[in-house]
Amino acid sequence: MKQNSHIFLVLTLLFFLIPLLVLVAQSFSAPWRFQTGAGLDWELRSYEQLLQNPMLWKATFTSICIGFVVLLLNVLIGVFTGKALTTVPFKGKPWVEALLLSPILIPVLAIAMGLHIFMIRAGLADTALGVIIIHLVPTVPYSIKVFHNSYQQIGRAMLEQPHILGSGFFRQLFTVELPLLKPALRSVTFLTIVISLSQYAITAVIGGGRVLTLPLVFFPFLENADASVMSAFSLWFAVIPVWMYILVEAAILLLPYSRLPWRNKR
Amino acid sequence: MKSFNLKHSLLFLPAVLFMLLPLYGLLTAVLNSFGRHRGWTLDYYRQIFESNRFVTSLVFSLQTALIATLLSILIGIAFTRSFYPILEKMAPRVSVWIPMLFPHFVWGYMVILLLSETGVAAQLLTAAGWIADPQQFPILTRDPDGIGIILTYVWKEVPLVILMLLPVYASIRPEYYALVDTLGGSAWNRITAVELPHLLPVLMETSLIIFSFTLSAYEVPALLGTTFPEMVSVLSYDWFYGSSWQKRPLAFAAMVSISLVLLVLSFIGYGYLNKARWRAMRGSRS
Amino acid sequence: MSPTTLEVKQLKKSFQEDLILNGLSFQLKKGEILSVVGPSGSGKTTLLRVLAGLETPTHGSLWMNGKDITATKANRRDISLVFQQPLLFPHMTVEENIVYGAKVSKKYNKQKVERLLEAIGMSRYRNHFPAEISGGQQQRTALARAMATEPEVILFDEPFSSLDPSLRQDLRYWVRDFLVEQKTTALFVTHDMEEAMIMGDQIAVFQDGTFQQIGEASVLHHHPANQKVASFMGGHLILNENEFVPLGDIQLSPGHGDGEVRTFQGRMEHLTYQHGHPVAHINVPALGSRVALPVQQVTTDTEEVTLHIPTSRIQRFEVNQHE
Repeated sequence: MKQNSHIFLVLTLLFFLIPLLVLVAQSFSAPWRFQTGAGLDWELRSYEQLLQNPMLWKATFTSICIGFVVLLLNVLIGVFTGKALTTVPFKGKPWVEALLLSPILIPVLAIAMGLHIFMIRAGLADTALGVIIIHLVPTVPYSIKVFHNSYQQIGRAMLEQPHILGSGFFRQLFTVELPLLKPALRSVTFLTIVISLSQYAITAVIGGGRVLTLPLVFFPFLENADASVMSAFSLWFAVIPVWMYILVEAAILLLPYSRLPWRNKR
Repeated sequence: MKSFNLKHSLLFLPAVLFMLLPLYGLLTAVLNSFGRHRGWTLDYYRQIFESNRFVTSLVFSLQTALIATLLSILIGIAFTRSFYPILEKMAPRVSVWIPMLFPHFVWGYMVILLLSETGVAAQLLTAAGWIADPQQFPILTRDPDGIGIILTYVWKEVPLVILMLLPVYASIRPEYYALVDTLGGSAWNRITAVELPHLLPVLMETSLIIFSFTLSAYEVPALLGTTFPEMVSVLSYDWFYGSSWQKRPLAFAAMVSISLVLLVLSFIGYGYLNKARWRAMRGSRS
Repeated sequence: MSPTTLEVKQLKKSFQEDLILNGLSFQLKKGEILSVVGPSGSGKTTLLRVLAGLETPTHGSLWMNGKDITATKANRRDISLVFQQPLLFPHMTVEENIVYGAKVSKKYNKQKVERLLEAIGMSRYRNHFPAEISGGQQQRTALARAMATEPEVILFDEPFSSLDPSLRQDLRYWVRDFLVEQKTTALFVTHDMEEAMIMGDQIAVFQDGTFQQIGEASVLHHHPANQKVASFMGGHLILNENEFVPLGDIQLSPGHGDGEVRTFQGRMEHLTYQHGHPVAHINVPALGSRVALPVQQVTTDTEEVTLHIPTSRIQRFEVNQHE
């Protein structure tokens, strides 16, 4: 057991923690030339260069706005569908579940290409709204799955209880279901934002290069920015989900029966 | 069941509206691949399957995706199996999930930073005197064998596999292991009799998700691949976005071919799972 | 005569081919407690779910205080349901759980919640979360939450079966007293005849989708309507579909009376002690049944016994009593 945890520590350091530290170290120093025997030159130049770029701020803002709306729609669709899958009895449920997962089993690029002409006709091509809609495709199936699992854990009996006591649909949703779905809300926040930030190809296809999100700035950066700036940019990508997570955590505190973490339970 | 009423159906409305997107998108892609606007034809399929570029690309894509998926699953199982008691604690779990915080292409950049010929690893090995020159470092990124792509995917998907398997391992009751042991089972029996039935549905689904993604995603191969052979997604994207619109139907035909492969695989996977589940249910009833 | 609170008329419920409720009719008077007892899997829970509004009946109607509530949804019915599991909301404290019941039914006032907390003895634990209190305390809180909605009728679905036996015993009397004190109309479902007799003013024996008999414990014991009721009560030896004899009238030795006597050969398989009396478990092949017979003392040392039944004591079922 002891030995096991040593192996775990070595593997985790090597494959997960050290790469992250390398990224951080590189972002705060000039590009490395260890082979010449040079050491680290600590500097903030990469961040200055990155943050002075007006495109970065614009793209960050666009990405956050798109990510936020995508998240809201994911929660809406995920909660309703998760509840329906748990409480409505019908035949062939496994197939419906598989069908709802299918959008992430079909290439999203094929779907985006197929929807492109429709988006042009509907006036959604080259707009943020169009990008939001296409970002739903790779995210919603995960959200449905997460919320479905969570509802199943709560159980049908617990979901009937507020109804018997006299609660209406929305009251039940806000007073009982959403507070019990907190862990699911957190996972969905992370999943949705990271996936939305990961989409270069479908954003380019539907946004036509005019909806400038962070990935669309990242790829051209690769051509001419040095390792320090690229490392800083890479870390910038991780800051956004963390930031959004804090925002959602604050929103969760507004739910009924939430207890402020610093307040004693009793 | 009488209780399927209007209000219940309304709960499904958002999902139904959402499902229209991928269904419509895929349908349009299929129609376009058969030349919807220029007269129905199989010509585009003939063209791509006669072109050496596409066929090589298809084989390369399938091979790369398959290797990446198998490695991710196997490493993920081994890791979860060995360490799931440790992973119940918060800090170890969060460390393992670090790669999930980054988009795929950012992690791809990380692989370049660490493992390219001018990367950190090559520099350190040179400085340590293990190799004379960074140029002697093996070519692991932008290589014709797809090593860089596979590395990125495996590195990024192993945490996903752990995420999916962890609740399963945590939910296997130790009594089952005790049962196998008292019946005189071996360690191998423990895996096949106790773990596999629990893991199978999750493994099937996770494998399908990873295989579909690695087969069809654009970003990582665009960053870490070469021009020949290239992944189908990159090829299709070029055809779709190329200088002329002439090649768009080829892009559709290529993506539809890939989709077909994935749909058939998914059908087999889910069909098998449902049959197994159905059998298990019947078994427990009688 | 108190007014009728709940009236059930010709209730039927079927799932696919299975008929779970088959033309069930009964009335509950205000303040009355009715125990429904029946074997596991007989559809008792379905009956409660139909009454609560969680399932729609296939046929028949429900009336509350003279109003038809068959089509009323569960959250608009003045009926509460306490389950086997307490099902307290884990993210609310004891007090919040009770207040929740009061508020959603728009019957909140502070004094009432205080009174309920006091009544269930949970005032000290009002700020505890469900995970921090015992099973019995959870079940009491669930009861208080159900009571806080001020229901016309409160339904219980084996509420004590997940508790350990000693706690179950205490809680039975407590709930019974509580319901009587609050003058609550209640329907109490259980598979345990003893529990049914403690909880209910009247007892309904539920089997095959309908009530075989409704009555006080003594009526059910002395005048069982049919074989099913008699076998459920366990106080008689059933001779055939029309005749039975109270266990107390069966002798293991030839009696002194000069009346006609019927005898059956049996084999004693076990001897147990219940409530301070030896009980002989006798297999009677001729009747195809086993009988648990309280005996005065263990007289025989052989396993073979003879049951002596005075013919004058043999009674007939009051067949089709209430049809």
